[in-house]
Amino acid sequence: MYLLRKGWAELKNEVFVLPSRSLVLLWVVALLALPLVYDDAYVLRILTMTCLFAVFAASWDLLAGYTGQVNFGHALFFGAGAYTSGLISLKLGISPWYTVWAGAVVATLFGLVVGYLCLRLRGSYLSLATLAFPLIALGILFAFPNFSGGELGVSGLRRLASTPTGNYYIAAVSMLAIVFGLWALADSKFGIVLHAIRDDEVAARASGINTPRYKIAVFAISGAAAGFSGALFAHYLRVAGPSALEVALSFQVVIWGIFGGAATIYGPVAAVFLLYPLTEWLGSFKAFGELRLLIFAVIVLLVLLFMPRGLAPWVRDKIETQCPRCKQRNRAWRSACRLCGASL
Amino acid sequence: MLRSLLAAAFAATIAAGAHAQTVKIAILGPMSFVQGENHWAGAEMARDEINKAGGINVGGKRRQVELIRADTNEIQSVPDATNAVERVITRDKVDFLIGGFRSEAVLAMQEVAMDAKKIFLGVGAAHSKLGLNVEQDYNRYKYWFRVAPTKDVDLARTLFAVMGSIGQQIRTELKTDTPKVAILAEKAVWTEGLIAAAQKTLPGALKMEVVGLWQPSATATDVTAELSAIERAGAHIVFTMLSGPVGISVGRQMGERNMKAVAWGINVEGQKEEFWQAAAGKAQFVSTLDTYSEVEITPKTIPFVQAFKQRYKKAPTYTAATYDAIMLLRAAIEQEGTTNADKLVAAIEKMTHVGTGYTSTWDKRHDLIWGVGTTAGIAVQWQDGRKVPFWPPQVKGMQPFKMPAR
Amino acid sequence: MNGGVYALLAIGFSLIFGVARIVNIAHTAFYMLAAYCFYALLTKTGLGLVVSGIVAVCAVTLFSVVCYRLVIEPVREHESAVLIATIALALVFQELMLFIFGGHFLGIPSTLEGSLRFLGVTIPYQRLLILVVAAVMLAVVWFILYRTRLGLAIRATANDLEVANLMGMNVSRVAMATVAISVALASVAGVVVAPVYVVDPFMWLAPLVTMLAIVVLGGLGSLKGSLIGALIIGYVEAITVFAVPAGAYLKGAVALLIMVVVLLVRPEGLFGVAFEEER
Repeated sequence: MYLLRKGWAELKNEVFVLPSRSLVLLWVVALLALPLVYDDAYVLRILTMTCLFAVFAASWDLLAGYTGQVNFGHALFFGAGAYTSGLISLKLGISPWYTVWAGAVVATLFGLVVGYLCLRLRGSYLSLATLAFPLIALGILFAFPNFSGGELGVSGLRRLASTPTGNYYIAAVSMLAIVFGLWALADSKFGIVLHAIRDDEVAARASGINTPRYKIAVFAISGAAAGFSGALFAHYLRVAGPSALEVALSFQVVIWGIFGGAATIYGPVAAVFLLYPLTEWLGSFKAFGELRLLIFAVIVLLVLLFMPRGLAPWVRDKIETQCPRCKQRNRAWRSACRLCGASL
Repeated sequence: MLRSLLAAAFAATIAAGAHAQTVKIAILGPMSFVQGENHWAGAEMARDEINKAGGINVGGKRRQVELIRADTNEIQSVPDATNAVERVITRDKVDFLIGGFRSEAVLAMQEVAMDAKKIFLGVGAAHSKLGLNVEQDYNRYKYWFRVAPTKDVDLARTLFAVMGSIGQQIRTELKTDTPKVAILAEKAVWTEGLIAAAQKTLPGALKMEVVGLWQPSATATDVTAELSAIERAGAHIVFTMLSGPVGISVGRQMGERNMKAVAWGINVEGQKEEFWQAAAGKAQFVSTLDTYSEVEITPKTIPFVQAFKQRYKKAPTYTAATYDAIMLLRAAIEQEGTTNADKLVAAIEKMTHVGTGYTSTWDKRHDLIWGVGTTAGIAVQWQDGRKVPFWPPQVKGMQPFKMPAR
Repeated sequence: MNGGVYALLAIGFSLIFGVARIVNIAHTAFYMLAAYCFYALLTKTGLGLVVSGIVAVCAVTLFSVVCYRLVIEPVREHESAVLIATIALALVFQELMLFIFGGHFLGIPSTLEGSLRFLGVTIPYQRLLILVVAAVMLAVVWFILYRTRLGLAIRATANDLEVANLMGMNVSRVAMATVAISVALASVAGVVVAPVYVVDPFMWLAPLVTMLAIVVLGGLGSLKGSLIGALIIGYVEAITVFAVPAGAYLKGAVALLIMVVVLLVRPEGLFGVAFEEER
């Protein structure tokens, strides 16, 4: 009883005061409750993919938005997770419930290696180098077709759950767990250090922060999350192929990240939830279907022109304002700050 | 209040009834590309022909064929393809699925279709794994049948059959005992098996000499290095295994160099109408496997090809075999009197279907059983801007195979 | 031969990066647009080869300046936004070409027929033309950059944006001029290459990767470096194809590997200048 009252007090004071937090709560509830009201397999499939891609995008944001290491080859981690989990479960017959973790581990290793290699690189140079890695990996995979299935990849992978609803919940729960975990990480002292590294690495080093360690750590964490989503993806489609490593996928996640708002974690997630079902829905119209990518690119361009910081920050600025005195956020339509009483 | 309720109920039953009146078939393919266009075109021709004749007789009731066009975008994205399959099954509630092209995507699409226990007739993907799945897990994958083309391994048998025929012609015309063959195969998984088979069969059963193996990338735009080397090796035949745009470059550059060797093999770009123009009019003598031409492989071939050309102003490619797939379905449904998937599967397994490109029977992997003149397809050669069929020579309509002047 | 084309692309790309700090992913997409434009003009209008070529180059160049003003300039402040914008632009072009012309591969008749036998190797005249045109364009660019006032302005802005601004140069106009020159180079490459290669909506992806490798090898922002880098990578590719006939597929990976190694060992490339962290 006490817990209930405490929970309610928390909700009232922490969550409902800010529209953005209420929205998030609403979204979480909707996500978890959806299959109970609407059982359509197609919708569940789209949302499952959306959840997986959301994890992918959020992991990219941690790397690129917070630490400023704009990774143009994020598909490497995704593909590493997909192929590892797929190959291990196929060749050794181990259940996917275990191999997805193996996929995440291998992707983490890739993250460590790439992070280490990219320590000395900045800005565009880093982006170009990271662009190359998935392509090199692709080349290696093609060179050993007996092991990796070459251009066809591996197929016939086992599912994690046997019903669309089951798969959906796996994807949704993992997504919520990982995204909130990443967000908590980004919001903590760790996150502040990352911000510092992005804004001025020299100053950060001068303050005594061991920046290389943080940079590599972020690559590893980001890789782990991306690899996990890649592994889930492979087992959902039951195919792990070169399409998991392609440049288009890397570009896609960059677009989601910037579109949604870099350095927010929730921005890219929102972007995926908006854009992926939208493009899929557009694709189902005969007239539009073939123009789908075109419309997508045009939308991205428009958003960039009018909301250069990304969609989520723009929306957030519209519904919330920052108190000039205590710097805490308030509902935009309030007249006085909820904490310090200063007028807004 | 009651009246509107009744009206609504009435309308609903009409709608439900109307729904039940059609046999819904989803046509899945990359609709912005020529493969998807042909998927759709072949299907349209079948649908119009059937509906004009009154529809399919399902156990006494006549039902029209309704086609759902689904763009899988599989060339660019595998998840898009699986989403499309899910959509047509769940949203559009189709009864049957036909199509597919890119093997990696079709493998994933097959999974979705098998989950829903819907019959999926493959028209376009040649990879053996699709059939292997049927053999390894029959109860799950039995709803899959490959209508076109023959599986990749059988393509090899056709290639060698034609190779033998060309080899004979070279022996007679050029008075050499052992024709020299240069293998020009794109670097891809699907060519690996073929290359190995070629290296064994050419010197063995066909008594030809393999002078070398060159493997450009599927998207290579410049093969001068390879062609120079092939010329130096003195090859008579260039055995091509090309599916990407490199096929165009090969045709064009061979013509530009006036090479004495003749190209034979798989050249997917070479099957397309646009090939001649794409190779800037230089691809004389390039020959490739194909499926459709105005020759009498079956009694239905010539009427189909002519009708197709008249309606769409271009010749069909092998993915237009969706026509055959739909006709096959009709035959099976009318024979069994039901659209029940399990019964139809059992029926198709035993059927012999005379299509427009093949006379088809299926093995236990639900792949086509190979045979010259039944499912092996034909071979065509580009001569002066036209695709001229030349093999199998005993079929009515075949023309002679030409070689560059020496 | 390939080296010439890559040089044209790489120098243009390097120019834009040097002056405007823009990594223009759409650079090769303009190259593709020029090839399509050339094809469309050739087949739909009666203009001859040369006229079509020139018109195509001019049209695409103008178009690129328009794109720059509309799309890139407003977001120049945010480096990552510029990156996305160029990717989105490239995708738009790709889809437009796909929509208008279909996914087929198109061929363009050669500008010059016939070929030259040289030391046992047959070289079609068309390829020699590429080399000649590339050399001419490079000479023209060199002339512009080193002998005209505009060129001086461009080099100054590339060297130090703020000081150039302080010195009274209209930086945004210089940037536009640079974009024009850069895309002009890419368009010329597209027009000249189209008859030899095959035209399709995805033809911009493969050269993009190689071009990036070249620019990095030569040094981002250095023109001499791009030229030499293009030649080196061109030869490396040819050698890979020749030496390992089965490994022709790897030539893309080899170029990338070189790029990565360069980035790790000497990020400035051969001739580039290490940029300080700029605000």
